[in-house]
Amino acid sequence: MLFPSEYLLAGIIAILAGLDRTAAMQFMVSRPIVAAPLTGLVLGNPIVGLHVGILIELLWLGRLPVGAAIPPDDTQIAVGGTALAIIIGQGTGYVGLPMILLCLLVAMPLGKAGQFFDRLARKGNALILEKAEIAVLSGRGASVECWHLLGVVLFAAASLITYLVIVSVGTAIVLHLAPILMPLVSEASLWVQLAFPLVGAALVIGTINVSRSIVLFSASFMAVFLLLWYQ
Amino acid sequence: MLSRSVLARIFMRSFLLQASWNFERMQSLGVLYILAPALRVLYRGEALTRAYQRHLSYFNTHPYMASPILGMTLALEEERSRNETDGTVDVEEFKSMIMAPYAAMGDAFFWGGIRPFAACVAIFIALQGALWAPVVFLVLFNLPHLCIRIGGLVGGYKHGIRATQVIQKFHLPDLAIRCKEGTILFLGGLCAYLVFQCLRSEEVWRGWGLMAIPLVILLGWFGRKGISNLILILLSSGILLLLIRSLAD
Repeated sequence: MLFPSEYLLAGIIAILAGLDRTAAMQFMVSRPIVAAPLTGLVLGNPIVGLHVGILIELLWLGRLPVGAAIPPDDTQIAVGGTALAIIIGQGTGYVGLPMILLCLLVAMPLGKAGQFFDRLARKGNALILEKAEIAVLSGRGASVECWHLLGVVLFAAASLITYLVIVSVGTAIVLHLAPILMPLVSEASLWVQLAFPLVGAALVIGTINVSRSIVLFSASFMAVFLLLWYQ
Repeated sequence: MLSRSVLARIFMRSFLLQASWNFERMQSLGVLYILAPALRVLYRGEALTRAYQRHLSYFNTHPYMASPILGMTLALEEERSRNETDGTVDVEEFKSMIMAPYAAMGDAFFWGGIRPFAACVAIFIALQGALWAPVVFLVLFNLPHLCIRIGGLVGGYKHGIRATQVIQKFHLPDLAIRCKEGTILFLGGLCAYLVFQCLRSEEVWRGWGLMAIPLVILLGWFGRKGISNLILILLSSGILLLLIRSLAD
């Protein structure tokens, strides 16, 4: 049932994408629209990854990493959710949209752990800062650079642990719930899928600093919807 | 004058600005890590230790907008090392003065403007099943990102604090507003397309789709009241599952 090597492969993506989130590069490989298809590609099913990426990206489109705020770890949710959907799907035969939705609904609350571990890493970095200050005062300036790079290790550890929480607890929950919930999720899958963009759009409209945001959204929605309806 | 190789090292190091981000002084150690190769060229002995200490002070700005700030800081440090400062611009004072407005500009433009806009375009392409959609996102987002990183560092170092006027000319806050408007328009179209597809697949009268607009406004109101979208999605999924189950019974 479990495939350690595949979980390990996804774990490497989890670390790399997790580092891109804050500590290194920030090319936005960490965004769900990139991280999830990348995980899918590594696990041999990029379409599932793309599907997960679309849903999670739409849901958290409006969350901004501003100042000291730590947003929900949508990166690990995307990577972990994709890994769960593909790996458990291979083992159990539950595939398609219902399986993706079930895995995401399980992975999303578990992703809250990411905020906790991220905060721990940042607190650990405060200790690194203290050590670096001592090094500067004692004339060992060169070691400051090593202390700084140690922060990368802490952020990588936070990402990996979050991923492991999502896939380990998530696997147990999905394996337990899938036989019970799958028929119901299958029936409601298109409606539940629709909830993701609507909730995501609502948050963007509610929080974006643009006057007339509701008017713009409504006008665009009506124009496209009516066009599709009457074509 | 700093050599190209030193500037190249500083540029590469700028990608690790936030590696030791902490709640106490945020990016301070990252700034020192980036500037260290230049400081070692400009100062020796006690002066180098003082320069290191100078850059361990509190610093926090948008990670991409740090590049122009650090470029200008390098120019100031160079002047200082040659004792050419006229006494009007202090390095620490300059950094602390400029980091907040640049953070606001970067947050609005990159996080609030370009990123959601690029994501919307990529999602629109991804909905057609195109696996290259993530590449579109990365290209759209990273073009302005890398321009500000490279141009900001080099321009900041070359022009010193006059580079602030160059950055002002880009009108980033106005561009951010245009991007946000584009994002909302894209989102409206995207939601309409998804609602229509769902109604067609479920064979439900299409007119019900227009109810999505008040629903989104209501959900947005909940969001403004502080209810997270995690709670909103879990609640709405739960309600939908119960509703479908009761209809099936």
